[in-house]
Amino acid sequence: MTVELDMVTDSAPARSVDPRRGRRSERNGGRRAARREPYLLMFPALLVMAALFLFPAVYNTVLAFQELTPYQSPGDATWAGGDNFVALFTNPATGSAAFNTAFWLTGVTVVVRLVFGLALAVVLQSAILERWRVRGLARTLVLVPWMVPPVVAVAAWRWMLDGNTGVINQTLVSLGLLDQGVPFLAQTSTVWFAVDAIIVWRELPFVVIVLMAGLQSIPKEQYEAAQLDSAGRWQQFLNVTLPNLRPVITVVILMTVIATFNNFVYVWLATGGGPGTYTQVLATQLYSTAFIGNDLGGGAAIGIVMTAVMAVFAVVYLRASNTVGKDER
Amino acid sequence: MKKSVIATAVAVGIVVSLGGCSASSGGSEGGTVELVFRQFDPANQVEGLQTAIDTWNADNPDIQVTLETLSPDNPQQFAREANSGSGPDIQQMGYANVALLANPNILLPLDDLMASDPLDQAYDDFLATDMTTIDDTTWGIPWTADTMALVYNPAVLDEYGIDETPSTWEDLADAAQTISDDSDGVVQGFCFAASSAPTSAQWFPINYYLWDHGWNLVEQDGDEWTTGVSSSDLASTIDYFSEMFSSGASSTSNIAIADYADPQIAGALSDGSCAMSYEPPQSFRAIESASDAELMTAPMPGGLTDGSTHLGGRALGINRNTEHPEEAWEVVKYLTSATTFETYQQYPASKATLTDIDVPESEVGYTEQLPHSVAFGKYIGSDMPLATIQQLVVQQFSAVYSGQSDSQTAAEAILAGIESGIGG
Repeated sequence: MTVELDMVTDSAPARSVDPRRGRRSERNGGRRAARREPYLLMFPALLVMAALFLFPAVYNTVLAFQELTPYQSPGDATWAGGDNFVALFTNPATGSAAFNTAFWLTGVTVVVRLVFGLALAVVLQSAILERWRVRGLARTLVLVPWMVPPVVAVAAWRWMLDGNTGVINQTLVSLGLLDQGVPFLAQTSTVWFAVDAIIVWRELPFVVIVLMAGLQSIPKEQYEAAQLDSAGRWQQFLNVTLPNLRPVITVVILMTVIATFNNFVYVWLATGGGPGTYTQVLATQLYSTAFIGNDLGGGAAIGIVMTAVMAVFAVVYLRASNTVGKDER
Repeated sequence: MKKSVIATAVAVGIVVSLGGCSASSGGSEGGTVELVFRQFDPANQVEGLQTAIDTWNADNPDIQVTLETLSPDNPQQFAREANSGSGPDIQQMGYANVALLANPNILLPLDDLMASDPLDQAYDDFLATDMTTIDDTTWGIPWTADTMALVYNPAVLDEYGIDETPSTWEDLADAAQTISDDSDGVVQGFCFAASSAPTSAQWFPINYYLWDHGWNLVEQDGDEWTTGVSSSDLASTIDYFSEMFSSGASSTSNIAIADYADPQIAGALSDGSCAMSYEPPQSFRAIESASDAELMTAPMPGGLTDGSTHLGGRALGINRNTEHPEEAWEVVKYLTSATTFETYQQYPASKATLTDIDVPESEVGYTEQLPHSVAFGKYIGSDMPLATIQQLVVQQFSAVYSGQSDSQTAAEAILAGIESGIGG
């Protein structure tokens, strides 16, 4: 900061006849400039953030209290007061969409991803893969689903899950495990399992990568100490691996919850919210309200509610990541 | 000095970026008017249209047209652009969307242009003008016409002893059941997209069935809008389609399919594992050209009765922001003329042009049915958008197919939803 002050002082032109007063004035001006400088430097970034994040958030909030169709310009909007929120909370479909979002879309897939992700990360980190010299190949293969665009992934899974010609059904029938194909995406008893399978397949690599990074940071000395205490592999996992991974697991859970809760693509492309309204989630309800029902205000109200729920998770996430940071320090 | 240079660069960048927002609209360069015509059909269905545009450009060096494809149809995108002062000069619109875009901030009313420079044929000689004229203002010119015809694999019908295509809905159910039973469920008698997606193609046969029985989901009675079908009649309609699945005449896998041209349906028609379905002309041609088997069309059940099937198609509108409305109108006139349809393989909405074109024998179902088809105009005008009615209906039908609801409950839910929607 001293250097910055000197630089500013050196470059400032002398304006006063009294040399002492002039030096004081220059010093004060330099301090003011120095105080302003961080704000000036931050200004472009703040401007971009305001334009990209603050303005849409504020506008969406305003929109939630307005009546406007996608065919009107914003100036044509009329005030609706709290009608959009009343309509949302009195709509019987909202409850089931909220349950589907929280349980089937988010809860189940996050838990399954965590369990499978942890298992895969441990396997990929194991010495045996290193010994067989296939660790690199295995890690690359695990990443493949993540490289597939979600739209392509869902389209491929829809084909594979088709009740008549899908490869999964044909295989099960040819193995004698089924008498006839099961239309996984068309019946209520199977549709959520099928959708969740698609989500887990596509999103699992992220969990694996993060957990593998966590595994690599565990000091080997801890495993060696556990072995000296005659701990078996399972005990090592429970008493060394899991406690060390706990902060990482917390962050993974929160990140995947936030990313999944708002997800629209998987359900919409796989089922369109059906059969009937069986797989309708808040994100698809938002889209239907805003762009099928031509009710941008109603859609914005759903978005506000979803944002409020996610804000809770975001706060928890920020606190958890701070805790992880402190632990690492 | 450095600061002022950076500030100037940023300002120039912003101005250039904002300038790009209106770049898609046509302009004028060196006396040549450049127009953008946006259409939404898949690129493989508009080769003939591109040829027609190329012909126009060769014959009219002063008015050059660029064909822009934005597929699938997205009227909201066009509305956003038009509301912000940009967008293409000429826009293709689905008939059902003209009412949504009929706004002086989006489309240019065409009455003055039509009066000063008339079309080659009278406006009233076009089909579906009730969809393009709203409150006595003309917002678009009907351009192409289509409908859903019954598509069938004649070899499969022969194999199972079906001599004639079904002319009633009851005949269709019987024939489909026979085929399914006699093939031990290997062949679907009638396959159709039955998902609950908002654009689900089951919307068409549901309405055909209703209309053929004299019912409507929505009816206008003077200034009032009401429902035009009782809950018991609507429940019987739901039962009709639901029994297609419960009887095995249609595979339950179809409950997950939204598009009439889905590969599962197209492939099943071609390989003979589905005997009958329905398609619009463009999809039929695509399936037919990819199929080794012979495929034919026939009118839908009740399709030769006036008002029992829908008249779909595209209209042409002019963006209110265009700087060259007269030139855009010249292009619209050309596109609706017989010359365009010499290369563009669509059914023209002009009745005179429609009677002049040669149609392959396999498409006889369309030519027989089209004169009896009516547009969805009777559903348009209430406070409930057509797309919202469609979503409500297909969701409830699909809920019954999948066992979430019974037909009576679903019918009452549909009627309650419509009654609350049409009243505003």
